[in-house]
Amino acid sequence: MTIQFKPDETFREDFTYSNSDAAVLRFPFPFPEDVYMYSVNIEPHVPGGPTPAFDNPFDVDEHYVAECRERAKVLEQDPSRCKVLPHMMAAQWDTLELIMESFAASYPAHFTLTREGTNWTWENRPLGIRDSFVFGDASTLPLPPFEYITRQAQGDFTLQDQREDNLFVDGGMVTTQADWSMDFNVGMTFHQWHGPVPLAHEKGVFDRALKFLLRLQFGAPVRRLNWTMTVNPRLDTSPENYPQWGPDRTTLTADNIGAKLHLRVELQSLFRLPRSNAILFGIRCYLCSIEDLARVEVWGKRLHRVLRDLHPDIADYKGTTRYRDLAVAYLAAFDDGAALPSGTAPRQATLPPKG
Amino acid sequence: MLISNIKSRPVYERLRLDGAGRRHLVVSDAPRDLPEVIDGVESAGGLLGYWMVASTATVDGQPQTASAGGNAGEVETRAFRAVSHLMDRLTHRLAQESVGFRLYAIGEEGFIWEIARLAREAGLESYECQTAHAGSMRRKVFCVHCKTITSGVTTSLVACDGCGAHLVVRDHFSRTHAAFMGVLADAEAPGDLPPVEELFP
Amino acid sequence: MMGQTLKLRVASAVTLAPTLKAFRFVPAEGGLVPASGPGAHLRLFLRDGDKVHRNAYSLIANPDDRSHLSIIVRRVAASKGGSAFLHEQVREGDVIEAGLPANLFPVIRTARRHFMVSGGIGLTPFLAYIAAFEAGGTPWELHHFCRPDERGVFEALLDPYAGTRVHIHSGGTLDVLDGPLSHQPLGTHVYTCGPDALMTGALERAAELGWPKARLHSESFGGAVAGGAPFIAVLRRSGIEVAVDAETGLLDAIEAAGVEAPCLCRGGACGQCLIEVADGVPEHRDHFLDHEERASNRFIMTCVSRSKTPRIVLDL
Repeated sequence: MTIQFKPDETFREDFTYSNSDAAVLRFPFPFPEDVYMYSVNIEPHVPGGPTPAFDNPFDVDEHYVAECRERAKVLEQDPSRCKVLPHMMAAQWDTLELIMESFAASYPAHFTLTREGTNWTWENRPLGIRDSFVFGDASTLPLPPFEYITRQAQGDFTLQDQREDNLFVDGGMVTTQADWSMDFNVGMTFHQWHGPVPLAHEKGVFDRALKFLLRLQFGAPVRRLNWTMTVNPRLDTSPENYPQWGPDRTTLTADNIGAKLHLRVELQSLFRLPRSNAILFGIRCYLCSIEDLARVEVWGKRLHRVLRDLHPDIADYKGTTRYRDLAVAYLAAFDDGAALPSGTAPRQATLPPKG
Repeated sequence: MLISNIKSRPVYERLRLDGAGRRHLVVSDAPRDLPEVIDGVESAGGLLGYWMVASTATVDGQPQTASAGGNAGEVETRAFRAVSHLMDRLTHRLAQESVGFRLYAIGEEGFIWEIARLAREAGLESYECQTAHAGSMRRKVFCVHCKTITSGVTTSLVACDGCGAHLVVRDHFSRTHAAFMGVLADAEAPGDLPPVEELFP
Repeated sequence: MMGQTLKLRVASAVTLAPTLKAFRFVPAEGGLVPASGPGAHLRLFLRDGDKVHRNAYSLIANPDDRSHLSIIVRRVAASKGGSAFLHEQVREGDVIEAGLPANLFPVIRTARRHFMVSGGIGLTPFLAYIAAFEAGGTPWELHHFCRPDERGVFEALLDPYAGTRVHIHSGGTLDVLDGPLSHQPLGTHVYTCGPDALMTGALERAAELGWPKARLHSESFGGAVAGGAPFIAVLRRSGIEVAVDAETGLLDAIEAAGVEAPCLCRGGACGQCLIEVADGVPEHRDHFLDHEERASNRFIMTCVSRSKTPRIVLDL
């Protein structure tokens, strides 16, 4: 399969990012029911799902080249977005190996990995990269292995070290995040890291999730979806740059909200890494304007209901307080109130024209 | 943006001597009576040290020994001129220690988490270093925008020492930075600041 | 659940001692073996007539180039099971099945120094550990306990590392550990693998010298898990009853009846085989459930546990 990339899209300033119809239809819509509440919504990360976004261990789509460029810009300004503690070197190589193997197997038209023993050659044609190196010898790569490979992948990644019956977030590449800071969180335990999430602690969600993850097995990755909303197709909604993106929230009007407000979905995947016994956490971010989402009938209706009935603490945590009423009013026009089947598949093969 | 009830905020309990340890050292950022700060001293199976910050240049850090009472042996007490004086001496002590050692720290958050960081850097596990809070509740605040740490914060809102931003102090605490997170309070509507409350006296 | 399986060809089978045999496996159909790390084990599914032996062995190396997997098998006295089968029946060129490597005994990556205590064949995971420590430049020390007549075999295995860091003891007492355990710098972790008595002894000595639990790590090797009073397991969802005889484990009996049940370590440690109990009282033999979970009798780890009641009803 050959992907038509859109290398010149931007995720800042003029925001030229947009989804093709096919990209809208492959969006990993996160709401199987009309009401949203936290749960341990973890399932095996096996190929296949409600849309093609679930077909590969690491999804590459039309935004790949533009997202890698955006990541490079963020890192140039703030290198501490990539932090890995020194004891995570084995996990760095694990990550490089896993992503290179997966990319080469999933997208042979774009990526090639050639191996002779520990002499590896990696070709990333969309980004014009070709490097030969010795696996296990960091001095043969232009960057540390984790940074090297995650600069070439969409979405954020963190590395969890497992010890003391706990997971410690001891590394990460975090440039497309929903308001959390790698630099601040590095070294935290599972519960400390998730400290700011409301309600879920009381429901025991993190206790059960941790117990599950401590038993995660090599070769049996899992995934879940998480979501929030972002004004403008901005990938870097970091706390670091909140002074830059915070004001966006006040720019919404009834006229522009459909195009400006984006549902932000994270396809989160968790892999046990074989050499280090660490866990790789992939946080692949998808953005879609609510105007485009409403072109999928079942999604427009469901998003309206979820937002309308969202628990106020969750609405606040996800930063939607300022514009939720406006968004609900916009989406109400697409919702006739008819009962919807559960599930997240789009249930249509094409989209009606915009507007 | 929620600022309270965040689970990364440390919850402190009273110090209790871990009888399984072979050597124990209690450090305090102010002169306090040992029984006031830690329980179970009488069960210390091995050596017990108590180091405190006296905040005066008249002390010299020399060890004094006294009986701890109960079954415990003697307590070796040292008084230091300042926190830095104590930390410097502690770094040397930790470098010579072996497994079986237990460290206990009591004082303001800024102090006890600095001690915890030293301990971690020396190779102590979290189980081997207990912390308890005493004294002022004032906080260290890490500005997530410019990475400056502002100390001695007693209010819900503070101007960052580095970039001058009005930071709202979140309850999100990083043991690595030994500080709470500070985030720009008026990003969404510049100048629109919530009232300042004295929260951490 | 057997999960993903591998087909491995026996590249070499070398007798090290009358009871010890080293096996080296390569992918039967070309390509690379899966990656693994120090402490990982390999589960073999050995087809012996109409029986399948399922045995787990520590990998003794984790080569960066993923060219092969290696294990050392001790022939268990009076064994009718996997170890005898491997010693007597498996030859170079044979193809066997295995699960993906899994790791229940990982290295603590934050440790400054590693202190290993092994007994007999319990040395095997530490051969992989030492290779990793050497590659990473992390300080380590090994104390290996063995019978005097096996000393030569283990000396040969450890020969590449001979020097002040390897201590082989065949005197039968653990007293020699007290000195070294009293003088380990902060940041040292202890790992032990071998017979139960050795592991318990080493851990108790360390605890007495002030070592907290978080610094102590042990891997228990298989041991006998079957054995006990026979009982009937009622598999509610499958709609069948399985007779578990005195010699067979619950999980083995369930699998023999053709029902796929979750499992991984088959040693009561990993927690993967947890099943809800609808009726009956389990006899817990695992290391996974906590005190409260055990007391509730609502769960059973099928790989090692049995039933106290003549019938037990499982949600399976």
